[in-house]
Amino acid sequence: MIKLDNVSKVYRTKTIETTALHNINLHVPNGEFLSIMGPSGCGKSTLLNIMGLIDEPSSGQVQVDGQSVSNYLSKATSRFRNEKLGFIFQSFHLIPDLSVIDNVELPLLYRNISGSQRRSMAADALDAVGLANRKGHFPNQLSGGQKQRVAIARAIVGKPNIILADEPTGNLDSVMGDEIMDILTKLNQDNGTTIVMVTHDERMAKKTHRLIRLYDGTQVA
Amino acid sequence: MIKHILKLIWNKKGSNALMILEILLSFLVLFAGLSYMLYNYDKLKEPLGFETKNRWIVALDDLHSLDSLESVNTINNLKRTLLDQEEIEALSFTSYMAPFSNSMSSNSSDDMGFEIYAYQVYVEPDLKEALNLNITDGRWFQEDDYLSSVEKIIVNQKFIDEFFEGKSMIDSTITFSGELKIIGVIDSYKYLGQFEDMEPTIMYLKDIIECKDFLVLKMKEGTPKSYEEKLSLIVSNTTNRSGSIIEQLDKKRIENGRSQWLMLGSMIFVCTFLCINVALGLFGVLWFNINKRKSEIGLRQALGAHRSNITKQFIIEILILSGFALIIGIFFAIQIPLLKVTEFESQLFYRAIGYASVIIIVLVTICAMFPSFQAAKITPAQSLHED
Repeated sequence: MIKLDNVSKVYRTKTIETTALHNINLHVPNGEFLSIMGPSGCGKSTLLNIMGLIDEPSSGQVQVDGQSVSNYLSKATSRFRNEKLGFIFQSFHLIPDLSVIDNVELPLLYRNISGSQRRSMAADALDAVGLANRKGHFPNQLSGGQKQRVAIARAIVGKPNIILADEPTGNLDSVMGDEIMDILTKLNQDNGTTIVMVTHDERMAKKTHRLIRLYDGTQVA
Repeated sequence: MIKHILKLIWNKKGSNALMILEILLSFLVLFAGLSYMLYNYDKLKEPLGFETKNRWIVALDDLHSLDSLESVNTINNLKRTLLDQEEIEALSFTSYMAPFSNSMSSNSSDDMGFEIYAYQVYVEPDLKEALNLNITDGRWFQEDDYLSSVEKIIVNQKFIDEFFEGKSMIDSTITFSGELKIIGVIDSYKYLGQFEDMEPTIMYLKDIIECKDFLVLKMKEGTPKSYEEKLSLIVSNTTNRSGSIIEQLDKKRIENGRSQWLMLGSMIFVCTFLCINVALGLFGVLWFNINKRKSEIGLRQALGAHRSNITKQFIIEILILSGFALIIGIFFAIQIPLLKVTEFESQLFYRAIGYASVIIIVLVTICAMFPSFQAAKITPAQSLHED
């Protein structure tokens, strides 16, 4: 469950103050597949980052999985992110110097898990996204769709309750985009994983349970 | 985590090789510099063996052209006249193997069944007081020793350590181009200079005829330099020779070591300069690398890494790279003592390897710390957004 109460985000420089989010109230119950839409610069990614505890709101309260977050720099918050949240990014954010399976293992490095168990969990995650045969490849040897599937494997390897996806199909053609959406939908249906997805694509948004729209940092629908 | 970092390093071996090379070269230069500095430091730690404060030395103007009787009379006259001076507390004539004279005489013999090599110095009984020599075992020469049937000698500790280690040799007779009886041991007599190697040395008691090249004077505390003029006058009037040269041993000691101090200073400068350069270089490279890896840092934080994990990762990465460089560097450096490339003691090189390794590790850790802390401060939202 994710709950935002009156969340605002303001970016300040010496001369300019930009409001990215304005008094957002949002409740995402467990098991929901929510999509967020809006024009570029409306604050979608900021909202997602705040939900994912990788950005701090200027005001308002954030509750994730029943826990209210106050200190974003604490070890407890890092551990919470590691265990409860999974991230998928538009530009994949795979580490080019690591093989596919090593990229998938990344979140597990920050848990007290043995090397062999990490390997086995990463292999299972890759299997789940249909990339079991690409373990030893490097990101530059993969297509865009395959890269995003690796990113999904990395997001699900630690079995998080919530997945936050920032335009996961944004860099993919429609066929590959559909493939990724199918995987996310399956994760939501089979495992009950809560998914919040930012997208520009109306077609993809229609496949989710609920759609909210942002405009200039304000929720309009 | 270590395995993960090793994989990262291996997969970026191209760029990491340059950093390893930089650390390796720095280690080798530091090793060479430290070997030289430690070698000289060890020599500085060794006792000189004689006092230079308030000691003057007179290089006598050729008394060898006088016949024996004339030279004995001249020297005795000079001795008496000088001892009458209230500024002079003690004096002794020596052969040309005098402090900082740059002259040496050595001999070797295998009469004892093994090779003995030693510097030889001819002295008078008065030299002990004139130079405040330090007897560590046995006794110094006495006038009676001139009458002894077996020639008596005093050796330095190095002589004992080199040829008769662990034995008490006082009153023992050795065969070294004749029978010689050891009556005393001095700690040191590095008369060629502080930075010279301490060599096994034998002091022979010689009469005044063989000790008329130099005159060593123990001056009263506070004797002004202007006294040199009066002293010069006494020496020239008594010997009828005007070419004697008077110098202060303290000054001679400084002049004698000047070139070594200069070399040592240059070496310290080079090593310090190198360390600063390496530090700046590493700092720059690490700063650049970390900026290049902002998105990775943000990603790791988003995936659950705490700031301390990020700092630790970067420090471990650079320490592993340094470790590789040090292993290669030590492999090359250790060949010098193992293959006995030089005549210097192996211990010196092992110490230099140890110190150079510690300096490199400390330097690298310090240089890695600041960029790593800065890296950890990057917020994930900021770094992921920048990418």
